[in-house]
Amino acid sequence: MLVLTLTGCVDGVKGSGKTMSLCHAVHYCSKQGWLVLHIPDAHLWVKNCKELLPSSYHASRFDQPIQASNWLRNFRTTNEHFLSKIKLRQRYVWTKRESTEEGRPLGELVDMGVSRVKSSSDVVGAVLKELRLQAGGTEGGFRLAVAVDGVNGLWGRTTLKKEDKSPVAPEELTLVHNLRKMINNDWCGGAVIATLSQTGSLYAPSSAYLPQELLGEEGFDSMDPFIPVPVSLYSEKEFESCYLYYLDRHWLQHPHSQTEEGKKELIFLSNRNPSVLERLCAFL
Amino acid sequence: MAASVTGLLKPWTPRVLLVRWSRYNPYYLEPEPRKEVYHIPETELTPEQKEERELKSVRPIKAATNSVTSSVFNDPVLSKFVNMMMKDGDKIIAKGIITQTLENMKRKQVEKYHKAPEGKKAEIECNPYTIFHHALENCKPVIGLASIQKGGKFYQVPIPLTDNRRRFLAMKWMITECRDNKHRRTLMYEKLSQELLAAFSKEGNVVKRKHELHKMAESNRAYAHYRWW
Repeated sequence: MLVLTLTGCVDGVKGSGKTMSLCHAVHYCSKQGWLVLHIPDAHLWVKNCKELLPSSYHASRFDQPIQASNWLRNFRTTNEHFLSKIKLRQRYVWTKRESTEEGRPLGELVDMGVSRVKSSSDVVGAVLKELRLQAGGTEGGFRLAVAVDGVNGLWGRTTLKKEDKSPVAPEELTLVHNLRKMINNDWCGGAVIATLSQTGSLYAPSSAYLPQELLGEEGFDSMDPFIPVPVSLYSEKEFESCYLYYLDRHWLQHPHSQTEEGKKELIFLSNRNPSVLERLCAFL
Repeated sequence: MAASVTGLLKPWTPRVLLVRWSRYNPYYLEPEPRKEVYHIPETELTPEQKEERELKSVRPIKAATNSVTSSVFNDPVLSKFVNMMMKDGDKIIAKGIITQTLENMKRKQVEKYHKAPEGKKAEIECNPYTIFHHALENCKPVIGLASIQKGGKFYQVPIPLTDNRRRFLAMKWMITECRDNKHRRTLMYEKLSQELLAAFSKEGNVVKRKHELHKMAESNRAYAHYRWW
């Protein structure tokens, strides 16, 4: 039975709780037994990279060994029990002397990527490809959840430069190229949850929060069709529950903040924005 | 002096209007930022308050400074501390340090509160504002020293201090202590929160400095007669 992949795009103003909603969804998926592919911030892959190696697999692409090995390490700790169950369906050759045979568990591939830092980006590509092929399988099938935070970083510009000072386009990075293939809806058996983020984004105005503005034309077309999940500021009930939670944990210590007037003032000062409210209650 | 001058002067606006300066014609009255004062209905006013209101409707009022708010969370002592910590007029950084200090203190105290057994929970003080005020109280010296010249020599004479001077000395000692005696890597708010918590329980360097001042004043007790005011 083929289950088509759904794409959900979480968008909202700055500080309204997009990353937190993504984390809730990821937790739910992992509790249900899905395999979770969580990229904490896609913007970290397109900026501030100290080492940019030319890729061995494809001549015009660039590798990022540090980011790739970090991500593989985290992937290993989050999905321990899946690593021994999934077997590879293809033989991968890394160098003249090293190769990973068919039928070996995925854990071996990940360990190799962590230890051999130079080919870690290619290992990431191989892992993603395997998971894409096996996600919707009937025997031993598992559901795959791809959770990307700051997905608009994959289609914007990068701050990285080649040695001749010309800018690097995101397509020329192996990690970004492979991730884009995952977000394309052509595989089945899972879901893609993406969050837009203006905070870490490059060359985007600070007032932009809609999908069209942040993703650009290219990104919007490749994410299409997606389900927009708007995250608005706190409603009355949500604000009430947040306020009662702070009171319960003895976090609101100022005597005036526990009165009605103080509460009205908090609503006014924070405009019901979750992150602003947190920063206000920190010192009250 | 202001009272006699007030009778002679008429309300005048200078050619160059000083809006944010602190020197005003003594004819101008202080602004009232608190909201409760304006919510009292007409019938419940005492005669003095009625007179005051009539006076305020006639006289000009000074412009309120930016740091004074009608918010319930406004604290004049804390504002003074922020101003003293400020360097080169950068109030944002000073206010940021103070808010981080308050948050840090609250975090430490709430952690202790949650870990403590039931009986001891009531003794732990979690409110960072009360800790700040009590710590400042514990750092205020009771008696001060002045350098008075008598017969060619200068003597350190114990003198009484006004409330403002005591508060200023406590704040000054706290800030200099945190700026000088800290490790290169510790941040200001971390050191400040440690010192404030220590002063709250009457330990720490600032309280020690206060005690040393008291001891010096006690030892120089014999020179108290040199004071003529």
